[in-house]
Amino acid sequence: MSAVAVSVFVFLFLVVTVMGFAASRWRRADLDSLDEWGLGGRGFGTFIAWFLIGGDLYTAYTFIAVPATLYAGSAVGFFAVPYTIVVYPLIFLFLPRLWSVSHRHGYVTPADFVEGRYGSRTLALAVALTGILATAPYIALQLVGIQSVLEVAGFGGSGTWFVKDLPLFIAFAVLAAYTYSSGLRAPALIAFVKDILIYVVIIVAVIYLPAKLGGWGHIFSTTSDSFTTFNTDNADAIAAGQASPKAMMPPPALHWAYASLALGSALALFMYPHSITGVLSTRNRGVIRRNAALLPAYSFLLGLLALLGFVAVAAGVTVAGDPPNPQLAVPQLFENEFPPWFAGVGYAAIAIGALVPAAIMSIAAANLFTRNIYRAYFRPDATPSEEAQVSKIVSLLVKVGALVFVLALSRSFAINLQLLGGVWILQTFPAIVVGLYTRWFHRWALLAGWAAGMLYGTWTAYGVSSPAQAHFGGPLASFPGTDTKVYIAAVAFGINVLVTVVLTVVFRVLHVDPGEDQTRWGDYAADVGDEGVAAEVDPHAPAHA
Amino acid sequence: MSQDSPAQRPSPGLWTLIVVILLPAVVLPLWVPLYDKTDPTLFGFPFFFWFQFALILLSAVLTSLAYGLSQLTERRREGSAR
Repeated sequence: MSAVAVSVFVFLFLVVTVMGFAASRWRRADLDSLDEWGLGGRGFGTFIAWFLIGGDLYTAYTFIAVPATLYAGSAVGFFAVPYTIVVYPLIFLFLPRLWSVSHRHGYVTPADFVEGRYGSRTLALAVALTGILATAPYIALQLVGIQSVLEVAGFGGSGTWFVKDLPLFIAFAVLAAYTYSSGLRAPALIAFVKDILIYVVIIVAVIYLPAKLGGWGHIFSTTSDSFTTFNTDNADAIAAGQASPKAMMPPPALHWAYASLALGSALALFMYPHSITGVLSTRNRGVIRRNAALLPAYSFLLGLLALLGFVAVAAGVTVAGDPPNPQLAVPQLFENEFPPWFAGVGYAAIAIGALVPAAIMSIAAANLFTRNIYRAYFRPDATPSEEAQVSKIVSLLVKVGALVFVLALSRSFAINLQLLGGVWILQTFPAIVVGLYTRWFHRWALLAGWAAGMLYGTWTAYGVSSPAQAHFGGPLASFPGTDTKVYIAAVAFGINVLVTVVLTVVFRVLHVDPGEDQTRWGDYAADVGDEGVAAEVDPHAPAHA
Repeated sequence: MSQDSPAQRPSPGLWTLIVVILLPAVVLPLWVPLYDKTDPTLFGFPFFFWFQFALILLSAVLTSLAYGLSQLTERRREGSAR
């Protein structure tokens, strides 16, 4: 990479670093409670929430991985678009209820709600552990995103592993430091820069690159020809199962796969602790609903970005690695086709794009640990400032863990675990979302259903092989008793619900203690100004969760 | 938090309408055979791709509509609460 690109990259990175530390003074409050440190004071309006939630859900890994799957000729790769269409009506309907009940009872995490609703610390622990387990590899993948950019950009170069990964260490130490000092305010402020950069880069990319490469029609037809040639040349290997056929669109056999990936991922997305953290930081219910209508702008961006995978094919981008690593396709495309200074902006956009979700995810995981493990099991009378301190330290540990993950274990291990993370997190849906509407499910039935879904999902994913790897070969498996490929998480979810329903009936017949419900019907529609719902939560009021 | 006042109950009719309005935004993207085609193309985009972009716009419009309606119920709630 040229000196110009490096300078632009480093400059933008420095701007963001200064903003991250300055964020502790923004909307000033004392950061000695989880409401302030971990939820930004619960006071973000539509504008900030749009950047924060957008920056949170559309991660650097998405920006690298989605075009990479299209570049690699995965027929179902474009499912990311219907997935992000389906998710907003669901957020619109479900999350305002979670917001209301969380505000009235001072819940910080989804597991807090589960504990209050079902009177079960054990079920809350299951939800919290699932959240932490699913989030950790997701943070690791943000680092993989930064690594891809640094690799193409030629940072670090060869040498010992320490020199090679030094830029990643620096990026990481900076991220950890300002998350520690500023909490959720840091990613909220940085999200502005991140999103403006991403929007600029993508809009330029989808106008400039096709113009340079002969128009979208030409890009689609070149890609189609390239995939057909690949399939013809490798017909024997494909027939023998040593290679996967390439396609632009899902053939009829993969329609269920495409739809179940979209629906399963959409249901899973807002169960992730980091999405719930983003949503709970908003000022009122209207902010969530208005954002459900405004956030699809990001989906449009994501769709265009995904198509950069085809642009890379048409531009004849080849990627390094053995086997070739398609995740390098987009950074390589920037390197090949953009003038150096703009390539620098592109790299910065992706790298900064990794920092925002990584910060929010580590905060969310830390809050889960503090509230549902530390406070629930070790220090029941922890003060708000003690909670905030524990969360700050855990957020550091989570990030160090993610770093070790990426450097010490293989990159594909992180990807496998993230795949499993999606399967796992969906298993908390019955306890959380169904719980927002009815208390009918029995707490022990929910726990059994969760365990059944986790076991089935993990076991099935382990058994999926692909030409590249023997286990965790992909997100799809045959629907039990058929040959139709579907998303593993969706089947695991079905099993989960089935077990929960059957056992609920059994436990109710046997009169097993259903636990105490702290919440009332009216809590789920409460809004700012109602009794018990302060505009900004007083951090020093005793929590009554 | 003793008793739920009637004003706190959402109006069921309007909420049914909101769900009906949001339904196409969930069902259409999942109905893959509907759009698994190359033709007709638009600005060089195969139907499969541009149709899904069009669905993003549609879902944004439907969600905005639903937002407007939900504000109506919340306002009515506030009005009757006072």
